Amino acid sequence: MSDIIFIGLSLSSILLLIALGLSITYGAMGVINMAHGELVMIGAYTAVLAGLHLGLNLFFALPLAFVTSGLVGLVIERLVIRRLYGRIIDTLLATWGVAILLQQLIRLEFGLSFFGIHIDGLGPGLQNMTVPAFLTQPIDVAGMTIQPYRTFIIVVTLLLAGLTWWLMYRTPMGVQVRAIMRNPQIAAACGIDVRRVSALTFAYGSGLAGIAGVLLAGFKTVMPEMGASVVVDGFLVVVVGGVGSLLGTILAAGILGQINGIVALLSNDIIARAVVFAVVIALILWRPRGLFSFKSR
Amino acid sequence: MSIEDTSTPTSSSSRLQRYADWAVYAVFIVIILGAPMVIDDVFWLNRISKYLVFGMLGIAIALSWGYAGILNLGQGLFFGLGAYMTAMSLKLMSATSLQQGSDKPVPDFMLWNAEPGAVTDLCCINKGSFLWIPFQSQWFGMAMSIVIPLIVAFVLSSSIFRLRVSGVYVAIITLALVLLVRLLLIDAQPITNGFNGLTDLGWLTIGGFEFDPYMVETYYVVAISLTVVLLLGRWLVSTRAGLILQSTRDDPTRARYLGYDVAAYQIFFFTISAGIAGFAGLLYVVAAEFASPSFMDIGFSISMVVWAAVGGRNSLIGACIGAILINTVEATVSETEIFKEAWKLIIGGVFVLVVLYMPNGLAGIARDLLARFERRRKGAPAETAPKAAE
Repeated sequence: MSDIIFIGLSLSSILLLIALGLSITYGAMGVINMAHGELVMIGAYTAVLAGLHLGLNLFFALPLAFVTSGLVGLVIERLVIRRLYGRIIDTLLATWGVAILLQQLIRLEFGLSFFGIHIDGLGPGLQNMTVPAFLTQPIDVAGMTIQPYRTFIIVVTLLLAGLTWWLMYRTPMGVQVRAIMRNPQIAAACGIDVRRVSALTFAYGSGLAGIAGVLLAGFKTVMPEMGASVVVDGFLVVVVGGVGSLLGTILAAGILGQINGIVALLSNDIIARAVVFAVVIALILWRPRGLFSFKSR
Repeated sequence: MSIEDTSTPTSSSSRLQRYADWAVYAVFIVIILGAPMVIDDVFWLNRISKYLVFGMLGIAIALSWGYAGILNLGQGLFFGLGAYMTAMSLKLMSATSLQQGSDKPVPDFMLWNAEPGAVTDLCCINKGSFLWIPFQSQWFGMAMSIVIPLIVAFVLSSSIFRLRVSGVYVAIITLALVLLVRLLLIDAQPITNGFNGLTDLGWLTIGGFEFDPYMVETYYVVAISLTVVLLLGRWLVSTRAGLILQSTRDDPTRARYLGYDVAAYQIFFFTISAGIAGFAGLLYVVAAEFASPSFMDIGFSISMVVWAAVGGRNSLIGACIGAILINTVEATVSETEIFKEAWKLIIGGVFVLVVLYMPNGLAGIARDLLARFERRRKGAPAETAPKAAE
């Protein structure tokens, strides 16, 4: 029984990891960022490249990926999203274009492959990130086998969720972000620099995607297309949880992950995912605003 | 807060604009029907017929997104359902289904996976194979290509719009649904051939005439179908119901206060749009000779929306031309490896620029140019011109 819960928990933590960044960019800013998956992918590639060229392991890759994806997010905000606030469907379409661009840039090694130059760790092929040995050996604790890497992911995810909560609810910056969520015009009238705060919030959400990428790289193959499949899951979690509710996102990730884990055990992985989608559709129909939400922009 | 900026093409159009509109339709129809006289390469004609099918998908998207304001990110579901229904019939007509040591047609993949000693008949070769029995009639399969999408869309949209779910949530529900059905389709491997889809199909046969995809006649089937759908769509949005629909898009609350049953109009047009997508699926199978779960990939459904956005989301013909244009250019540049890779960079950039700087797409640009021309001809700004009594 505890095994099943643990499987569900580790599925949940991955969902939460991806959804955490989205709950900020979509939940707080009303931007459907289809390039979120590509920011995850960039985080994963940062880890691969840092390992190959700088000899840095997972722990150094985490902050590095946060900065890299955050900077890419900042650029996307500056060039594209800034012009689209309030046009939510258009943010979806424009960032879909951005996603294709980013994928192709990695595949073409930033265009260098046209000149016959190859950078190790980039290109259309599959890459792997090496995980430090002590995180791969299963440990026996009181008769239970514990997968240290899965546990590590759960711990990091919880830490990040905690950090995000602290930033949003215990810092002056967080107050400004929440004010903008409720009503950007009034926030601006109160002297909040909406543009600057929005840009930084978006960069933070993107940075979280980068960290998710590093952790995913530990047990998934790294490839240019890896982001496309995770972004939808992330959105479903955020929407089910309730737009703008951090707690909702955490609970939704927990529920959907457990459902996925349990159904997968009873039938197979494909059916498990299908059941998750069916639950999501039913929940959105039942409560379009999500399980936990307040009115936001 | 308006979700997207919309201009109403039918309301304040001048006589010149209406003429120009019809001229575009006429030229387009003449071009697609006349193409075989210029292009004698059947290989290219077959390719173009597939792009015309995508043009039909553009029309379906413009109808629901541009005119009803409903963004359906799962249009691939209806396209895929339409494709599979016809593909099942054509699969049974294929030579591969008849050469399996049985006098009755049985899909080859079912026989490969059959238990030893199983009866080689559709009734009981495996648990779900009886579902294939009615598809021995080609007309049944083709009818289902349109009927099933209509039913699914009606049930789906009834629940969505009666519950007054709107905006982004509709997009997310449709997205989740297409993914859900795609997974079920893959999981039902014994009757759908899973990931591999249905291949080695027979040809559409009407009155003894076999429509080989690489024949001018097949191209005409697609081109004429597109013409009919385009004109029907055009007629539909200009009817009273079409105008009410546009009012529900611009302000659903006001339309509701005026006494209109907003949900009924949304359901009607959403369903029609799904039917068109199903019909497109039917034609695609006839032209491309396969059906695959990739029709229900998210990427494909979003691509359709992007085609419509580039062509002009508020214009049926704009969205249609956008779809055909993008696909034709893509096919042309994909001939060489370098351009194929670079093309994806270009198309990604184009999507971003279109959304940022020309939200009404090519059709919007054409409309603006025409309006500017008209103003210059009249010598007075259009704003100050007295409104003609209508």
